[in-house]
Amino acid sequence: MRRTFWFAASLLACASQVGGVEFEKPVRLTAGGNPIRVESPGYAAPCWADVDGDGVKDLLVGQFRQGKIHYFKNLGGGKLASGEWLKAEGATAEVPGVW
Amino acid sequence: MAGLFQVLKGSADGTFKKAAELKGTDGEPLIIPIKDEKEQVQNICTRPTAVDWDGDGKLDLVVGNFAGSFYLFHGEGKGQFAPKPEVLMADAGPLQIKGVHSDPFVVDIDGDGDLDIVSGSSNGGVQWAENTAGKGKKPELKQFVALIAPSADVPYGQPVQEDNIKGPSNSTRVWVDDVNGDGKLDILLGDNVTLVSPAKGLSLAEFKKKSDEWQKEFEQATRINAADKEAAEKASKRINELYAARQKFVSEDRTGFIWLYLAR
Repeated sequence: MRRTFWFAASLLACASQVGGVEFEKPVRLTAGGNPIRVESPGYAAPCWADVDGDGVKDLLVGQFRQGKIHYFKNLGGGKLASGEWLKAEGATAEVPGVW
Repeated sequence: MAGLFQVLKGSADGTFKKAAELKGTDGEPLIIPIKDEKEQVQNICTRPTAVDWDGDGKLDLVVGNFAGSFYLFHGEGKGQFAPKPEVLMADAGPLQIKGVHSDPFVVDIDGDGDLDIVSGSSNGGVQWAENTAGKGKKPELKQFVALIAPSADVPYGQPVQEDNIKGPSNSTRVWVDDVNGDGKLDILLGDNVTLVSPAKGLSLAEFKKKSDEWQKEFEQATRINAADKEAAEKASKRINELYAARQKFVSEDRTGFIWLYLAR
């Protein structure tokens, strides 16, 4: 079960090969059963890091609007929990300078 | 202010402080210096990556920008950075992506022991600047080549629906890590896409007819002699009218997705 998602992705044909590095075709990530998407006007920026300190890396996705960041907990087995806004000092974290 | 670097400092309990401007060792907000407004593309839309680039044991900042070039702020330890950056070079010239919005991620992508730079771009796809120096040596970069080619452009104004998209669009942002735990480096890629569908109440056929007519009018309006000021002003007014008219038959939804490329 753990590798179900990854295995399904790996069945797809090779997408790229440069300098000995090869990748499968891209798979759009989902969380909580829905495709991950950012608010208008878009500009999704991913980061893979252990935010909650459980030893497993989670997904963070930054966006243009208000400089907010979505946090998706890694549930294991190729699954991500539904997103929630990353918090800073109890409020939704915002990176200023994005207009 | 755009172009500054923000840090959300983490605590041991997993919480974060609010974003705070990163300052240089001179006590001033860290920013890529420019001479005048013409150079502003060098210090807006900055994208920093913290990494020990020069191998001195201290985290440096490799920074992208709107212009598509790269700067290095030398780290002096404990989150302190020298205020004057250097331009990263490649093949005897400034390192430069194809497109704009350089988006550095520093990683040994080819597994030869030294740190390479991969980057997203306004053009889409992922680009790779190979470091040929070897392990423990001062980086020597080659100019970017495509690691993952951009997806084919969707013709402007044509329907683009979420379920039909098979790969990333443009304005890509890259992260590299072993996402599936198989020991190989995978790529996470964020993008920017405008989903286009018929406005409420319109069939797809009606939408296409209106869209084709609009496209012809748009092409006609933009076919002008730019040196003729009066004609240019008239065309500008007409183009604004056309964009306003377009909203009556087009529904647009701007968003961005996250794509995973697993390494083979």
